[in-house]
Amino acid sequence: MSSAIAADPHSDLGHAADQHDHHGHDAHDGHAHDHAPAVEQSVAARARLTPREFLGGLALLGFILTLIAGMCLVMAAGMALIIKAFKAGGMSPADATLWGNAVGSVSLIVLVFVMVLATLLTMGERKWSAFIQDRMGPNRARFGFEKHLPGPLKDTSLWGLPHIAADVLKMLTKEEIVPDMGNKVLFHIAPALAFGPAFVLFAVIPMSPTFTFLGESITMQVAQVDQGLLYIFAIASLAVLGSSLAGWSSNNKYALLGGVRASAQMISYEVTLGMTLVGLMIIFQTLRLDTLSQLQGGYIFGVLPNWGIFYQPLAIIAYFAAASAEIKRAPFDLPEGESEIVGYFIEYSGLKFGIFMIAEFVEVVVFAGLFTVLFFGGWHLPWGEEWIAQNWGATALGFLQFLSFTTKTFIFCWLSLVVRWTFPRFRYDQVMNLGWKMLLPLSIANVVLTALVTLQWGRNGAAIFGMLQLLLVVAWVVGAFKLRRDGTETLLPAEGAASHAHHHGHDAHDAHAAAH
Amino acid sequence: MAIKSVFVEHPEYGVRERMYVREAVRGIAITTAHFFRNLFGKRDTSTVEMTERQGANLMNTIAYPEEKRDYPPGYRGMHRLVPREDGKPRCVACYMCATVCPAQCIYIEAGEFDAEGIEKYPTRFEIDELRCIVCGFCVEACPKDAIRMDTNTHAPAVLSRPLAVHDKESLLSGPAVSHPSDALTYGKSRNSGSHGGGH
Repeated sequence: MSSAIAADPHSDLGHAADQHDHHGHDAHDGHAHDHAPAVEQSVAARARLTPREFLGGLALLGFILTLIAGMCLVMAAGMALIIKAFKAGGMSPADATLWGNAVGSVSLIVLVFVMVLATLLTMGERKWSAFIQDRMGPNRARFGFEKHLPGPLKDTSLWGLPHIAADVLKMLTKEEIVPDMGNKVLFHIAPALAFGPAFVLFAVIPMSPTFTFLGESITMQVAQVDQGLLYIFAIASLAVLGSSLAGWSSNNKYALLGGVRASAQMISYEVTLGMTLVGLMIIFQTLRLDTLSQLQGGYIFGVLPNWGIFYQPLAIIAYFAAASAEIKRAPFDLPEGESEIVGYFIEYSGLKFGIFMIAEFVEVVVFAGLFTVLFFGGWHLPWGEEWIAQNWGATALGFLQFLSFTTKTFIFCWLSLVVRWTFPRFRYDQVMNLGWKMLLPLSIANVVLTALVTLQWGRNGAAIFGMLQLLLVVAWVVGAFKLRRDGTETLLPAEGAASHAHHHGHDAHDAHAAAH
Repeated sequence: MAIKSVFVEHPEYGVRERMYVREAVRGIAITTAHFFRNLFGKRDTSTVEMTERQGANLMNTIAYPEEKRDYPPGYRGMHRLVPREDGKPRCVACYMCATVCPAQCIYIEAGEFDAEGIEKYPTRFEIDELRCIVCGFCVEACPKDAIRMDTNTHAPAVLSRPLAVHDKESLLSGPAVSHPSDALTYGKSRNSGSHGGGH
């Protein structure tokens, strides 16, 4: 039983256990013996893992890393082979490299990596949310050949993956209902408008530097444009069109309201999205994303990797929140609302609806990739790059860098999913409040301060400022909570009032004084 | 009769509490811990909560139909006709169950039986399990303890509706039952001489 749930009713069951038969409560008792008295558990006790679970987690991570490495290998080899094929077909080596990279990156990066990751994420979301919620997740779909699989794989559920095929087939074979009185043209292109920008955003994200693999020079980036970040802002703004047009063309008042909600939320957070990245632009003095990734190599003061997170920690939080709101995900998913409220795609059925859903997951992947590029060094390994270049060669380094990008992207996809299943949904006024009154001023302040510091003390100064920011914020937040004598933590009114009197002027203090 | 009033102190949350940063991090820790615990943790399999539970993972999902939950005692499930010692059903086709059934799901056709005190037996006894509302009135109404719902399983799922109509042969199951009140009359044919009862 999830101990979080067993904690509260256990106290009631403790009384009832005397009267009712015990067999229903034995499992509760069995678990309760592991923990402190049920109601008084502190969260820290519940969050601890046994060594077995920890090692199992590491094994799982290793397994996933191997899978990602396999995918990277396939992509890099595919690119190299395409270039070789062009060369064999008679193109000049320079042209073959150029065109091979172009064709290979569009087909392999965008079509393979992004789409495969997004599709697996649909299933991953269902399974991982199930594991988080103490249940199994979908595991009943079968392809039909499972009974012929050898040994331990016989008759397994294949980790729920056949469900992807089942979902796709279901959506393809559903009846496509088009509202009679709506704008039919817009109705048909709205899913494409939601899906396209998500996809296209991945064009400028550098997945690896230019490295030699199988004898060919490949760059895992679809387009190296001079104005990479501006392209990101522009295309992200285009994504608003999909949801607004979907809501409008459905000829449904509730869909229209859902579309308006989605549009308002997205445009509110676009400004923050841009502002948070201006700080990075100031520090690294470039808009090109591949240059940004390149510049994040090396170390700050020889110890910390030169990553954006150490320069702009506040920008990271604001960016993650704004990006989650932009893709209408995590706690900001009120426009689509699921079981709560009518969303803007209520009139869509079949594959059009499927495209909206896939677009959401593609956006998750894209923003995870962006997050990696901007704040976590892109394709850089945190430490040890020179050592690998010396001892294992440039090709190995390039491939490992590619691998590190995909791994980091995967981690941030996972983080996005975990955040979704941890927090309750924001109310709409809370969303607007957060966007305009909290994140936007924060990001503007961040820009101004970063500009001042960088102007005065250069990049090193910005690094110091960033780390100071981090320490200050952490100390400030942690200081709000006091430890009680029995080891539990809480926000106590008495202590809270005392500290508020210092921090928020004397209004509250006077109100309290007047009451007494 | 003075109205008692309680002044409730609400803690005033400042900006730093309303940012919920610490709670957010804690929340992520909890969900992540659940994730890894459910992936690799092992349940204490010594406590028996349900029969045929396979696997020892910590997740609460019961993989029906491979794993099932025990029904409580007194569960009204699938009907069964109780047999006598000679294997025939105890039912005397009195139509009490068919009459009391609110869903009218029991269909009986009676035939003549020679033994005194029994007189009738059902030539056809059919229950449409899809109509049954599982109320148990038929069990309560039966004077001969001929129908029971103590099979401890629910009516099995069928792929077509006619398959849910169970007849006498498929309903007849369980160990033979004979009650003391049977001994007065059972075994004596009407045509053969009747001797005074008593046992």
